[in-house]
Amino acid sequence: MKLYKKEGNIIQILSFPNENAEKGDYLMIEDADAAKALIVQVIDVQFAAVPGVLEELLRTLPDGGELIQGEDIDPLEIAPHITYIQDASLLICKIRATLENDMLSPSSSWLPSRSQSIIKKISVPSLMKLAKVDGKLPIILGGTKDSSLLTIDASALDGTLNIITGKKGCGKSHLSKLLMVSLVGYKATVVIFDLNGEYSSLGMTQDGKRNMYYDKIHALTPAQNFKVAIDQLHLNVVMGILVHALHLPGTSAREFKHIWKQLRDQGKLTLADLGEAIRNCNCNQHVRDALASRFHSLVNSGFFTDNKAESTMLEECLIKSKEAGGAIVVNLRNTGNIDRQIVVEYVLGKLVDSLQNWKLKAVFLFAEEAHLYLRETYWDDIVTRMRHFGIFTTFITNQPDTIQETIYRQADNIFLFNFTNEHDLDVVSRAARVDAETVRSIARDLPPHHCLTLGRVVRDFPMVARVRALDLKTMGETRLFFT
Amino acid sequence: MDTTLPQRFIELSINSLRQVHINPFQMSQTFQQETTPETSPTQLQLKRQPLPLTPRHQETIIAAVDTSTIKIGETSTGIIIAIRGATVWKQNRNYHYTRLGPFIFHITEENKNAVYNNIERAYFNVQYLNSHQSAPNLMQMPTRLASLLERWLQTMLAKTLSDGLILFDGSLTSGTIDTPVQRMREILTTARKNHNTVLAFSKATSLRANGYLITDLLPEREPPYLLETTGVRFKPPTVLLGDVYVARLNKANMAFRLDIDHEVPVEKRMEAVEKLVGNDVLQQSYPETLRLAHILCTFTANEVLAMQHFTTRKHGIQIINRPDMHRLLFGPFGKEGYA
Repeated sequence: MKLYKKEGNIIQILSFPNENAEKGDYLMIEDADAAKALIVQVIDVQFAAVPGVLEELLRTLPDGGELIQGEDIDPLEIAPHITYIQDASLLICKIRATLENDMLSPSSSWLPSRSQSIIKKISVPSLMKLAKVDGKLPIILGGTKDSSLLTIDASALDGTLNIITGKKGCGKSHLSKLLMVSLVGYKATVVIFDLNGEYSSLGMTQDGKRNMYYDKIHALTPAQNFKVAIDQLHLNVVMGILVHALHLPGTSAREFKHIWKQLRDQGKLTLADLGEAIRNCNCNQHVRDALASRFHSLVNSGFFTDNKAESTMLEECLIKSKEAGGAIVVNLRNTGNIDRQIVVEYVLGKLVDSLQNWKLKAVFLFAEEAHLYLRETYWDDIVTRMRHFGIFTTFITNQPDTIQETIYRQADNIFLFNFTNEHDLDVVSRAARVDAETVRSIARDLPPHHCLTLGRVVRDFPMVARVRALDLKTMGETRLFFT
Repeated sequence: MDTTLPQRFIELSINSLRQVHINPFQMSQTFQQETTPETSPTQLQLKRQPLPLTPRHQETIIAAVDTSTIKIGETSTGIIIAIRGATVWKQNRNYHYTRLGPFIFHITEENKNAVYNNIERAYFNVQYLNSHQSAPNLMQMPTRLASLLERWLQTMLAKTLSDGLILFDGSLTSGTIDTPVQRMREILTTARKNHNTVLAFSKATSLRANGYLITDLLPEREPPYLLETTGVRFKPPTVLLGDVYVARLNKANMAFRLDIDHEVPVEKRMEAVEKLVGNDVLQQSYPETLRLAHILCTFTANEVLAMQHFTTRKHGIQIINRPDMHRLLFGPFGKEGYA
């Protein structure tokens, strides 16, 4: 390989056919005299602009467009040299760091010698070692192209905002399950909004046996094994549900607050008494109607109960998880749109409450297709306020434009699967820790189950890995008609 | 097939490259593909009455030969050149080719005679007197060696093909330094013995009638047709072994000088051109077979790079860049080719 050109933080390297450099590979451009090296990543591979190639290709085609049959008597064996030159490629590389005295710095302000520099490939483990991507809590994401393992540290997910995105069927959910069980393995508390009911069986192996996570996976299905006793609800949680999920206007909300406090003081906080109190409320007819309709929505959701024995204490699951780690899977599969929002409002309210009171240290929240249940104002809440309470969210989506731009800007880690759509790539490119060229060039060519990892977990050295298989019962497969 | 010449080409090529080991190698600053200049005749007249042609679709093999040479670099003692030849033939509506080379030579003042004479000896096993007398200068060597290869390929075609048309690039002028009369005569005789007709197309001509280029004097007549010339006489020792025509073979407003072996009867000549029109694709009035032969033997810039790579890698020739004196002295005005 030969150093050809540098423009800004893009380096162009001439590579010959036997050198086999591909997109995503890391190269080290070592300048012995300067005692420094540039670490660059190949973000595109192009044909080198070798003069005469077009003529070479054209001349074997007569006017009819068919190849001319012929024999080349090439006694000096020049043909392999022609092929060698013709197949030369130009590697478009992005400068990632400078290595000096075994220390990496993000500088790209110097120019290595074009004639004297030695360019060689650098393996993922060597790079990870240089970048000090190690730690006591390793999570093996998968295998890289050079048959080494891409290992991140769980602590790099701590306190971070993460996005897992890619087009349908490329392995997003699989990666989120891997991260989730790995975190649970390190005794972390994880809450999952499971839109398709695919996380509930993570405690089982593919052949239906219990696995090591069996006792740590708490699957909660609203209105079935996940109900809330009305008198256990905090007023602010109920108000959150009414205002945000059920869009109760301000005047009616004030009246509801008044009724709720009255009933609580009287020790009569049941669904029946609440309904009765709304019916008998001495207020404007419109307010009463608004309250009545919201009350019926709450009752019809089946999520609320008067029977304490019937109610599942989310808080208890959380506390149990706090000790040994665990995942609370909120199965939203058969839950309607409004009910879904009610449940999410309740869970988030409860989490904030538990974190505020230090009943929980921190929670890793995995939210699949969050735009389907997360109210708009929560996006900013999650990345700013809730993050400070200790809710560290991972968004999983195949529609990157459903996640707000502010989320991308603040994302610490992005796990990017294949996208071919330009618009989708544009959206992801807005992330602060990502450069648009890398995303556009590498993500477009990622094979299925291969993930481009960007951000803090890889110390800003974008890495491509095939996500490793898990022996978990995933239940995430799409139901098909013909098979 | 007699392979004496290619064998000798290979041997001499490798030997000449071995001698260059200790010499630094200067990249050629211009890649000129050599062509042979045409000598001027006298007393030439062009008949205004065209000879109309009727395409004959009777299946006929059409074969063409061309060679190319290029200087790929310089050393302190000489030049490094490459030569390649191509034979193309059209049979059963399909084109086929054989490409021979490239042969790379290191030519110096010391080895030029040995290289040339060795190859010539391998050619007809005889050396013609006139070629021996005129030892080529260094800069003429590429065309002289290419010419030898071309004549050898033409001989092979004349020997192996029968009842076909053999297309030459250039004229049937002989008696020049690189084409002794005897050599050209033997090729034409061999072709005739095998019932082949040689048609020699010149891409450019300097022949003029009444002061005008003969290929510019086209009558208002539906092509294809030929125009006859008379009085083409060259100064000795140059001899013309064919009769010169102007051929306009399709509607493209272009015509070429066409030389046809003058030993071939006139009817046979017309028949041969009509078979060519009926069997070959004609692009801009030029036969596709000959065009392909030219294209296939021409060196592309990519190939020049590859050959430079070969000479460096295989023969360890150190490449140096000698400054371009035109550029050095005249800056942006120092482009080669400007007076």
